[in-house]
Amino acid sequence: MIPRLGSGKARTLTYLTLIAVVFFSALPLYYSVVVASRDNSALADVPPPLWPGGNFVANVEKVFDTVPFALALLNSVLVAGSIAIAVMFFSTLAGFAFAKLRFRGRNALLLITVATMMVPTQLGIIPLYLIMVKLEWTGSMYALIVPALVNAFGVFFMTQFLSRALPTELLEAGRVDGCTTWGLFWHVVLPVARPAAAVLGMLTFMSAWNDYFWPLIVLTPENPTVQVALSTLAAGYVSDYALSLTGTTLGTLPLVIVFALLGKQIIGGIMQGAVKG
Amino acid sequence: MGKLRPGRIAPMLAAALLAASVAACGGGSDEPAASGQPAEKIKLTVGLFSDFHFAPLYEEFKKTHPNVEIVERRAQFNDHHKNLTTQLATGAGAADVVAVEAGYIATFTPLADKFYDLGQYGLGKRQADYLDWKWSQGLSPDGKLLGLGTDIGGTAMCYRTDLFKAAGLPTNRDEVSKLWPTWEDYARVGQQFMAAKVKNAKWFDGPGENFRAMVDQAPVGFYDEQNNLVAGTNPDVKKAWDLSVQMLQADESAKLAAFSPPWNTGLTKGSFATIVCPSWKTGSIKDAAPTTAGKWDVAAVPGGGGGNQGGTHLMAPKQGKHPKEAAELIDLLTSKDNQLKLFTDAGALPSIPALYDDPAITGFTNPFFNDAPTGKIFTDAAKALKPQHVGPKAGDVLTAFGNALQRVEQGKQQPDAAWQQALQDLDRIK
Amino acid sequence: MATRAPDRPTVVPRHRSERFSRQLAHRLDVKASPYAYVMPFLLVFCAFGLFPLVYTAWVSLHDWTLLSDVHKFVGLDNFAFLLGDDYFWNATFNTVSIGLVSTVPQLLLAIWLAHLLNRPLRAQTLFRVTLLLPNVTSVVAVVVIFSQLFGRDYGLINWVLSWFGVGAIDWNAGTASSHVAISTMIMWRWTGYNALIFLAAMQAVPRDLYEAATIDGASGFTQLRKITIPMIKPTIVFVVITSTIGAMQVVAEPLLFGTYSPTGGPDRQYQTLSLFIYENFAKLDFGYASAISWMMFVFIVIAAGINYLLTRRSGGNLT
Repeated sequence: MIPRLGSGKARTLTYLTLIAVVFFSALPLYYSVVVASRDNSALADVPPPLWPGGNFVANVEKVFDTVPFALALLNSVLVAGSIAIAVMFFSTLAGFAFAKLRFRGRNALLLITVATMMVPTQLGIIPLYLIMVKLEWTGSMYALIVPALVNAFGVFFMTQFLSRALPTELLEAGRVDGCTTWGLFWHVVLPVARPAAAVLGMLTFMSAWNDYFWPLIVLTPENPTVQVALSTLAAGYVSDYALSLTGTTLGTLPLVIVFALLGKQIIGGIMQGAVKG
Repeated sequence: MGKLRPGRIAPMLAAALLAASVAACGGGSDEPAASGQPAEKIKLTVGLFSDFHFAPLYEEFKKTHPNVEIVERRAQFNDHHKNLTTQLATGAGAADVVAVEAGYIATFTPLADKFYDLGQYGLGKRQADYLDWKWSQGLSPDGKLLGLGTDIGGTAMCYRTDLFKAAGLPTNRDEVSKLWPTWEDYARVGQQFMAAKVKNAKWFDGPGENFRAMVDQAPVGFYDEQNNLVAGTNPDVKKAWDLSVQMLQADESAKLAAFSPPWNTGLTKGSFATIVCPSWKTGSIKDAAPTTAGKWDVAAVPGGGGGNQGGTHLMAPKQGKHPKEAAELIDLLTSKDNQLKLFTDAGALPSIPALYDDPAITGFTNPFFNDAPTGKIFTDAAKALKPQHVGPKAGDVLTAFGNALQRVEQGKQQPDAAWQQALQDLDRIK
Repeated sequence: MATRAPDRPTVVPRHRSERFSRQLAHRLDVKASPYAYVMPFLLVFCAFGLFPLVYTAWVSLHDWTLLSDVHKFVGLDNFAFLLGDDYFWNATFNTVSIGLVSTVPQLLLAIWLAHLLNRPLRAQTLFRVTLLLPNVTSVVAVVVIFSQLFGRDYGLINWVLSWFGVGAIDWNAGTASSHVAISTMIMWRWTGYNALIFLAAMQAVPRDLYEAATIDGASGFTQLRKITIPMIKPTIVFVVITSTIGAMQVVAEPLLFGTYSPTGGPDRQYQTLSLFIYENFAKLDFGYASAISWMMFVFIVIAAGINYLLTRRSGGNLT
């Protein structure tokens, strides 16, 4: 089974390290919650305040008054969710093709795919915006979703996973049974790909949720995603950081909840997918 | 529905007549009174970069324009202007009414084909209200009215009475104003302050603001009237530079970049004793450091008053579909009465000189600033304002010099080398 | 256990033409499906990736100010200026420096973390979920908090350093110090993410290898070196390439660390290539900004290529 932990000393060291990791990962988040529940001046205090103050609810109300936050949450869920599902599906599709199917130009196309990852997003902002103007998608969620339906990262990720995890014999057996390529995909590839696709979906959801620059340009503050709404919160000559951090806490909360509920399944799925010969 | 019985006709006729007469009276707008149909529902978006306290004014507008819904959108200062550029360049996404700050107005006024000429919507009549220079700032090169001014900056010097006391300096504002008739005097008093070694306090926040204030007071700034970039050869600019460097080298600066988080902290903690204060900054200080209420006061700025920092114009991009309503909204937001209201609410100094003698303003005192008569102080400053032509890329020029001063401040470059590099940066500005 | 495709009843074609058409359909399926499956990605890319790329190349050959309608064709002048521009090379240096400082320790740490988590532990899910917490935090919050931590006068880190007698460091002002601060932000954000990817790969490694090694007396660390790492080579290549690409495009952290100063500090001490593009874009010099973008693209290709060759020499591969 899984490698044993070894001596007691190694075990303690492992736990200590992991606890330290948890501490450092959570510290900035915790600190931002502390500031969010107080006011602006809390950021300036040294030593910093350790406990949340009582201002959180008041700040939350202010957030909802200042920006259409509920709408922003809805939009973000819609956008990030659609993108995650689309990316999972299309990346698995293309990954399967690159990993296991034989076709002319496969290597060249794979290389091109990887190369497209290297195109800096800055490069295309204005032309992309022009396209959105032509399609009349400025200010709408389509402008966020459609260009992101499938990306090179996902394709590359699934390609390299499937090339190792998908046994060729299985596919050949399927072929012998008369499966079409689609049948192979549906019945063989998808189950095998599930754990990696789940991880990819989760990562994609997160990065779509956190996307800042492009939504800021193409959306309007009346129809924002969470990050755009947060930018509005930070507006003003003098930023109200407590308000801003309240907003970011609220914006992070849905993700944390999803992890808490599904985390075990998603991450556990990786383990399941691994218990194979 | 139903049968029209005589008993019913009379009240209906009366109601119809009433409606027609109300429509005929109109609301004082230029709209032809003929229709009597309810106007279509319109949505106007107003794009701002800060809280301008316009909310009550929108309510006022709704009373005369019940069919108009106003949605305000705010973006961070830099994002706001950058996005506006993108929106103008690509032809979509701009709000119906946009606020453009004084540092950017000269970038947008040359684009007469991208903004509505407010003169065509009757706003040309406002010219009589305004300060000449503020009015001209909103014109395109060929004289079209593209932007109407909201507030101006004016300049004063805000100072911390508690820190002054600790250093043995006078705290009464009139005496303080007398301390520094010139900027050289200001630097000298600064050295006095530093010699008193007040804990953790420097004289001013950062060198950039003083430099800017000094340049603003000169008859010619970074650009001449023909929009030639003269910053490198203008002796007033060099003088401001030299004095700023001198103050840096005397360790008078707290080395804080304005509006950055450490600057906020510095305001709260009393890291500096003085700060150049355009009228709107009094509002910023109050927002950033609420716990320092009552510890501040306002004195005259060195250099004989004058100088303007900041202020805004409202413009209407041609992408908007309702220019008439947009123009009417702009008219209301910048009206004489509302500019008065905005001063007492938000510290926005009006750009209408007739208000400078209005007792509501001259009698106004600000409790946060030790009940200083900020109304009188800033209107006096505004009256002394000698306008200076602001060129198209003034913001970039200021950045080049600001960065140069900071390099000197951080010990990265000698003043002469920093000046030379700033001049090279100016060459890159197209 | 291995899964099996469900049994399909084999239909015996009754006529030769039927068999022929079935064979044709099959051949079409085998030949065409791969292209069909790769097509969605290529379509999206062509529409939303290729056009902007070509458009920007076109713009870079002009003297193109964003708000004017007159664009003068200047050929390769922008690029010539670029190659002689100190600010450009400064930005390149900053990008490489921040890239290295943020990527190398990060990946080592990520592999090690994944290794630690690749075993039975209590509170497994808690640890694994924590890995992603930093990535989930909004960039705005990250920079606000870290700017406070690295503040000169009232920052937490300087406060802790003062216990050890170290004077206050102006993190923002120095080149090395600002690179360290920004790299810390990036590392904090991405280590867990990459650790998770490594973990997913490690879980696919057959367990009997480890058992055999343990029987032979190999320590955990040796097993990591001799078994785990070679077995997850493709993943390592993948992560190295994607991290390199990401590191070269860093813009949000330096921009917000300098409070929206597009020059990355008064001395451009932390202005990355992305930020340099942003600065020129904000100055409305669209032509020059496009030229820089293209050079950045070239650099990314070179950097990714080098990293790929380096990692491949030790046995990895793209697939």
